[in-house]
Amino acid sequence: MIEFKNINKSYKLGKNNTVAALKDININIKEGSVVVLKGSSGSGKSSILSLVSAISKPTSGEVIVDNKQISKLSDRFASEYRLNNIGIVFQKYNLVEDISVEQNVILPLIPKNLDSDLVESKVDTALDMFGIKHYKNSTVKNLSGGEQQRVAIARAYINEPKIIIADEPTANLDEKLSLDFIEIIKDLKKQNKTVIIATHDPLFFNLDIVDKYIEMKNGSII
Amino acid sequence: MILSPEILTIYILNFLFFVFGLIALNLSVKIYLKYDKNSSEPIQYTLERQSYLASTIIKYIFIVKVPLFLFFIFTLDKLSNVLSGAMCGAGVLDATDYGTMLITLKVLNIYLFALWLVLNTEDVKHENQPYIKIKFALFIVLFALFLSEILIESYTFYNFEIDKLVSCCGTLYSSTSDSIVSNIFAIDNKILVSIFYANFALITFAYVFKSKYMYAISNLLFIVVSIVSLIMFFGTYIYELPSHHCPFCYLQSDYYYVGYLLYALLFMGTFNGIMVLFKDDLFKLSLISNLLFVILVSGYVVVYFLKNGVFL
Amino acid sequence: MNKYINLYLLEYSINSLLRQKYKNIFITTILTFLIFILSSMFFITSSIKNELQFSVESLPEITVQKLISGKHYDIEVDRVNEILSITGVNDATARVWGYYYFVNAGVNFTLVGIEQFEKQYKDSLQNLVDSSKGFDESNAYIGQGVKEIMRKNYFKEYFNFILPDGSLKKINIGGTFKSDTNLESNDVIVLSKENMRSIYGMSEEYATDIVVKVANPDEVATVAAKIKLLYPDTRVITKNDLKVSYQNIFDYKSGVFLALFIVSLFTFFIIVFDKASGLSSSERKEIGVLKAIGWSLDDVLKEKFYEGALISVFAYLLGVFLALGFVYGFGAPLLRDIFSGYSELKTAFELPFVLDVQTMVLVFFLSVPIYIASIIIPSWRVASMDADEVMR
Repeated sequence: MIEFKNINKSYKLGKNNTVAALKDININIKEGSVVVLKGSSGSGKSSILSLVSAISKPTSGEVIVDNKQISKLSDRFASEYRLNNIGIVFQKYNLVEDISVEQNVILPLIPKNLDSDLVESKVDTALDMFGIKHYKNSTVKNLSGGEQQRVAIARAYINEPKIIIADEPTANLDEKLSLDFIEIIKDLKKQNKTVIIATHDPLFFNLDIVDKYIEMKNGSII
Repeated sequence: MILSPEILTIYILNFLFFVFGLIALNLSVKIYLKYDKNSSEPIQYTLERQSYLASTIIKYIFIVKVPLFLFFIFTLDKLSNVLSGAMCGAGVLDATDYGTMLITLKVLNIYLFALWLVLNTEDVKHENQPYIKIKFALFIVLFALFLSEILIESYTFYNFEIDKLVSCCGTLYSSTSDSIVSNIFAIDNKILVSIFYANFALITFAYVFKSKYMYAISNLLFIVVSIVSLIMFFGTYIYELPSHHCPFCYLQSDYYYVGYLLYALLFMGTFNGIMVLFKDDLFKLSLISNLLFVILVSGYVVVYFLKNGVFL
Repeated sequence: MNKYINLYLLEYSINSLLRQKYKNIFITTILTFLIFILSSMFFITSSIKNELQFSVESLPEITVQKLISGKHYDIEVDRVNEILSITGVNDATARVWGYYYFVNAGVNFTLVGIEQFEKQYKDSLQNLVDSSKGFDESNAYIGQGVKEIMRKNYFKEYFNFILPDGSLKKINIGGTFKSDTNLESNDVIVLSKENMRSIYGMSEEYATDIVVKVANPDEVATVAAKIKLLYPDTRVITKNDLKVSYQNIFDYKSGVFLALFIVSLFTFFIIVFDKASGLSSSERKEIGVLKAIGWSLDDVLKEKFYEGALISVFAYLLGVFLALGFVYGFGAPLLRDIFSGYSELKTAFELPFVLDVQTMVLVFFLSVPIYIASIIIPSWRVASMDADEVMR
């Protein structure tokens, strides 16, 4: 359960110039639902994603996830929350291109300092699930865009978070790959993951798996 | 003044510690004055991040300081070759006015730095950071002590006179001479040894009843009691010489560097013993280290008795 | 798995270092070079110091020299008897020794004169006299370095000494003179005292100095004081004085070197600070991503310290290893002249191998902690960066 209560977020640009990115936002997202954030770029979609993942903090208001106020967490506990509860698929995947698929997927496990057996089994499960097991030792930069996205999804999935966030996931994909991505979302929904997608791709606008559409404009919900 | 590479190295590192310590001090003061865990103003997040820098610096200083302390003792031993009359580090420290104070301060600071680290680890484990103000207040005090250590150390090295005739450890710690240190040591050995074992019994007692405060206090006491009885009683069995009272000589190779082991055990035992105030799971480690220490020093006495059939 | 070392983080750190190849190779090279210079210098001094201390060890406890107007003069031989009568003195010997400048090669030889049937003050000389071939008073016995120089100048069986009056004195070479340390015997020619006196034009009543043996080390200071009282015109040097002054000279020399070296260390500190602060945009993005996927400030800091420890420990080991090879394998060309100081005049000698752990510890303290210190602030800056820019 994710709750936004009266959220305002503004950025300071220079001394007396503040820009309001979000204005008085109230949202409720149920566990296990798929939510699509619509809106043009600059409408505030990304700000909502970074508030859910505790990457940034609201100027005022509260973000509550599973009855926990995450908008006031200290840096250390915000990281811990993010590590255990959130998986992010970035718009440009943001993979480390010069290392292998496995080494990329492991990244969220490193801070936990787990046994190598456990790490191996987690990596194999994740790679298997997204059909990229045969690329385990390939260098990321040699993969195609669609494959890279699967690596990014595997990385987001590896810690088995409850919430998965995707920022413009289909912006760099052709239609076939985009449809593949939607299939992956279906799988995740089956596993009762909460999925939040920020996109302006019309492909998402009429899907039966989506439980909720939130349309944004100039920092407000329409 | 002696310009030896060892001393210069200590100077260089001290300077580095001083500069970084100043940065940590500045941050500590800021955090101590302005940190408010209930506020969610942006400045609180900045302060929180700065607290990481401060604790990283303090950790760094501690991690380098401990081996540097051993290096310091080693350097003193080496200098004892140069100063006429000195047989070991004790004589070298005697060569200057504040030698005894310096070594006491150094040991105290290591205890305090270690205390700070335990406090820090416990602090960051909790979301509301219960010790954040205490730990930075502690560092402000610690910095003052640390600064005096650095100053006294520099003064000590600067004032070494190669030609000055110094006392050997044998006379320094004997009860017949009238140096200030000696007066404390004019206690009867039987009483001293009784106090030593009684103190250890008290520690064991406190362990059995898991009484935090009693355990910590008896450990604090044990530091002093152990060092005095080491010098006055147990040390003589390590040297197998009734008149040799020195807390330094057994750090040398002639005694297989056993001193380092002794002091390490004593530190582990007593430090963790005091830290049970903050962390419950240290009881066992502390008791085991103390026990090993007691066994080791008693072992020297027993072995001597078995070999020679008499006590010293 | 080890609780204290995070192997996956280590792997990531190594990869991260390799990705910034040029920057890291640059820093590692400089650090290695500094460590190399520093440890070479310390190795040379400790080697020479050790050799000198060792040769001092073989000397008698006390040396007595005569001084006139502060300059060293020949001492009367009959003073030996007076000194022998002091309680505590085991033995006293009048020594005849000095230097001989060999013009053709431009080097100084050390000449040592002995008499076959007196008790020798050094084990190496006693060995020479006791050896199976024996000591022939008319011959010269030469050290290894002297032998090589003479061979180059075609003196194989004999050598011509030039006397003070300009005439030549031909002396046969009887064999080589060996001792435990190279430095002691390398430039030495052992002759009979009689030959020595004629080479130096010295009369029989005089000697260069007198060495005194004292059995009980605790009595050395007292005996030295008595000799000084007996002959106020002498300088009395004890073995301990020599040891201390060697120690001081070499400590002082390497101390001065290190003091000058501080500037380099400081410059290095600034370079590393600067390099570690300047992040490329891809590095910035990477840290941002790591933080966004849940790495805490502490985790990023830890990663940076793994990198720092890898670089500095690697550079330390490499630097020390290279220095060991340079000093003991190649005999430290160029650098050792700074410390031996008289290589032009004295024949060359090998640096004996001394594995000086204390020096290695010293160099460790001067490199690894300083490197780590220089990355603390830049690493913290990187680690405390906001992650939210990767979301925009």
